[in-house]
Amino acid sequence: MIGVRVHLPALSPPLPAAYNLPPMSVIEIRGLKKSYRVYQKKEGLLASLSGLFHREYREVNAVKGIDLTVEKGEFVAFLGPNGAGKTTTLKLLSGVITPTAGEARVLGYVPWERENDYRRRFALVMGQKNQLWWDLPAQESFQLHQKIYGIDPASFKQTKDELVDLLGVGKLLAQPVRELSLGERMKMELIAALLHSPEVLFLDEPTIGLDVVAQHNIQKFLKHYQQVRGITILLTSHYMKDIAALCKRVVIIAGGEIVHDGSLDAVIDRFSDYKILTVDFADDRMPSDLARFGEVREIAPPRAKIEVDRNQIASVLTNVLSNYSILDVSVEDPPLEEVIASLFALTEKQQHESSDASIATAAANVAAAGKN
Amino acid sequence: MLARAQIWWTIFTMCVAERLAYRGDFVLGTTMRFLPMITQIFLWTAVFASSGNGTMVGFTRNDIVAYYLLTMVARAFSSMPGLASGIAGQIRNGEIKKFLIQPIDLIGFSLLARMGHKLVYYGVAIGPFAFVFWLCRDYFPGWPPGEYMAAFLLSLVLSFLLGFFLEASLGLAGFWTLEISSLLFVYMLFNFFFSGHMFPLEILPEPWRTWVGWMPLKYLAYFPAAVFLQKIPADQLWQEMVLMAAWTLFFVFLSRRLMHAGFRRYSGYGG
Amino acid sequence: MKATLRNRSTMHRPNYLAVFWMFARNSLIRDMTFRANYIIEVVFGLSWALMNLGFYTLIYRLMYADGDGHANIAGWSQYEFFVFIATTILVNSFVEGFFMANAEELSELTRTGGLDFALLKPIDTQFLVSLQRINWSAIPKLLLALALLAYSIPRIEGLTLHPIQFLLYPLYVIMGTLILYSVMIGLAATSIWLGRNQSLYDFWFYITNFSRYPMEIYEGSFGSPLRFVFTYLIPILVVINVPAATLAKPLSATNWPLAGFAVIATIGSLAISRWIFQRALASYRSASS
Repeated sequence: MIGVRVHLPALSPPLPAAYNLPPMSVIEIRGLKKSYRVYQKKEGLLASLSGLFHREYREVNAVKGIDLTVEKGEFVAFLGPNGAGKTTTLKLLSGVITPTAGEARVLGYVPWERENDYRRRFALVMGQKNQLWWDLPAQESFQLHQKIYGIDPASFKQTKDELVDLLGVGKLLAQPVRELSLGERMKMELIAALLHSPEVLFLDEPTIGLDVVAQHNIQKFLKHYQQVRGITILLTSHYMKDIAALCKRVVIIAGGEIVHDGSLDAVIDRFSDYKILTVDFADDRMPSDLARFGEVREIAPPRAKIEVDRNQIASVLTNVLSNYSILDVSVEDPPLEEVIASLFALTEKQQHESSDASIATAAANVAAAGKN
Repeated sequence: MLARAQIWWTIFTMCVAERLAYRGDFVLGTTMRFLPMITQIFLWTAVFASSGNGTMVGFTRNDIVAYYLLTMVARAFSSMPGLASGIAGQIRNGEIKKFLIQPIDLIGFSLLARMGHKLVYYGVAIGPFAFVFWLCRDYFPGWPPGEYMAAFLLSLVLSFLLGFFLEASLGLAGFWTLEISSLLFVYMLFNFFFSGHMFPLEILPEPWRTWVGWMPLKYLAYFPAAVFLQKIPADQLWQEMVLMAAWTLFFVFLSRRLMHAGFRRYSGYGG
Repeated sequence: MKATLRNRSTMHRPNYLAVFWMFARNSLIRDMTFRANYIIEVVFGLSWALMNLGFYTLIYRLMYADGDGHANIAGWSQYEFFVFIATTILVNSFVEGFFMANAEELSELTRTGGLDFALLKPIDTQFLVSLQRINWSAIPKLLLALALLAYSIPRIEGLTLHPIQFLLYPLYVIMGTLILYSVMIGLAATSIWLGRNQSLYDFWFYITNFSRYPMEIYEGSFGSPLRFVFTYLIPILVVINVPAATLAKPLSATNWPLAGFAVIATIGSLAISRWIFQRALASYRSASS
């Protein structure tokens, strides 16, 4: 085949392993940025007509500068609201898209150079997206996979049998993929991704749209597989259950930036500014002025739940205990989902404020350029 | 009444806006329609070069070029891409249900949508059309006399209606059979060969020529072009127009019957 | 379960022929599951070819009736023209069989994000995207073309064929197919930038429309430049004219330089279309999830 090399930005060769350098992390990201233009479509007949000749656009900054290091064997989760940049980051690391700025290396390779050597060593699975041939049984797609990855037949058979066994889909191999349920299809996708025994696995919302049982099965499988094989996994998800079950390390991405990188427990410590005080009063008589302690969440006599500022919990507690007769009291952290949801809401608000500013800039750009 | 008109206007503008959404598409598509004309002109010039007296079945080379250009105009009115398969598709995936509860029926909605699409498309395309026709004005034998001109314009309107209701009827057959694509494909083949789209029907040898004369397909491309070029003898002109109107009415009624029968059948299944 | 640390020893460069065979095999399985569709496509393709043949038969019949017995289109007599038509059908069956479905699917792939998956595979992306869907319904057309050749060649007056022509003909047919493929993939690649574009596909169709007629018809003040452009700049006139002339009009002196040029045109087209494809991939945006 005639090959034509294209010069791509941010090139550096992978460092040879023979040199005496400190062991490289599996994934290294520095200042990664990705923005692109989205063309505006306006309402109305006249606006549509004028759209033929001149289009407005705005810049979307999907990823605004990410720094991240992942070591071999880690199981890291990306958590974030829709549009936060999780999927974009995974696509950048898979080499599917090229960044606007910044660097990244996975296994020493620059992903967007799309070298075949790199592509043989990692896999990407995207929830609700199929790479298997729709009308054919999964086993035909697996065979095609074998040929494309050049896996030798003996190890291919062994790996395939192991995976099929683990996921319990032996009877479904001969059925056309379109006839499988969503959960079964996802299992087949996972098998297809793991047939070439990748060292790095990227999972983009693998359990989205699945029922609870299917989700649980896949979580179990991933946990087991990762422990035995020691591969490095990056998982993005909306679902707390996925993350809590599988990952010790959580990276929270919102508005294209990393806002937290650590354990789940640390999230609460860092981002919640209140605690929940639950009080069971002894008498049926409930005080009517509970609101001075904080926001009253729930009153179901004799019980009351109050949100109390972290810094004041000690004094509120003392106050309540000394002034009222109490049967029971407990102080808890807010549920994790709440903390994260309010964190997302906050960053979305910040994003809107800054995007108004960037729309203004883009409009000025368009006016200056005079054409698209 | 006003509410009705408002509904129709909203649907109309929605269809228009949808059509304009992909602008790259739009501008390219309109100009490219004329590229095959170029090869046609060269081809027929070569064909006529070996002809003894410069005519073939009553056509000169210029006549033939004019004929093809005119069939493009006729087909601009009568071709309904995606209509039949669209209706059949809506039946197949149950979208049809919404017409049972909306204040506008399936055929009415499709007709408006089609009109909207065509008006916009040819509203913009009239530029390139007029330009090409002006460039090729020497191929035309001149404007037809009043009577023929009136018949020509009328036949264009009728060809739109005929084309629409014919294809709508085909699509409505989707209530009874899933193999609508085979039906459509047979229709397309016949249409291409026997409507005058591929060549002037005078080229067909005898038994075919008469049979095709009775079929409604010729009105979709051949007839308006032949009228403009005055290839239809004056005494037959209005006969043919009446026949064309009759076929159109036939398909109007057929499609309504099919639609009602189809809905009855459909609701019989519980939807 | 064994824990393997380094797996690269069990993998190697793909055998492109084996992968192609898998594509062909999987496509066949798929075509056979949708048998009704397959039959429709076969009948459609054959009907199209037969209609064209019928049309030209009618034309030649009329030319014989009107003219003085030497009916020809730009110097191609009836059976010479049939050889031309057969070559058109032949090249078309190759293009449709190998490439057409894939080019159409490329814009779908881009739209649905399926191209992402193609970019993950350790195989040349252009190869994958161009050949993964083989259309077996083109085979009857191939057979029809061969039958037409067998029918027409003996009927050309005064034609004697040397074995070398039977070797050159398939070679030129393949080169013509590759030129059309290059145009096709070049246009399809731009769908990665432009998004949904039925009109680009129409564009290919309209452009290749020019290639379906003998290049001799393009003459005159408008025709000659057109002939030049479509021979030397976008070499589609080379696609059918060269093989057809090799078989039907081998002694025509003007043909040999053109045949040599066909080789250059093929290589050039492939190179340029590959460059376009690589550029398109480099700026790939990917559908949002």
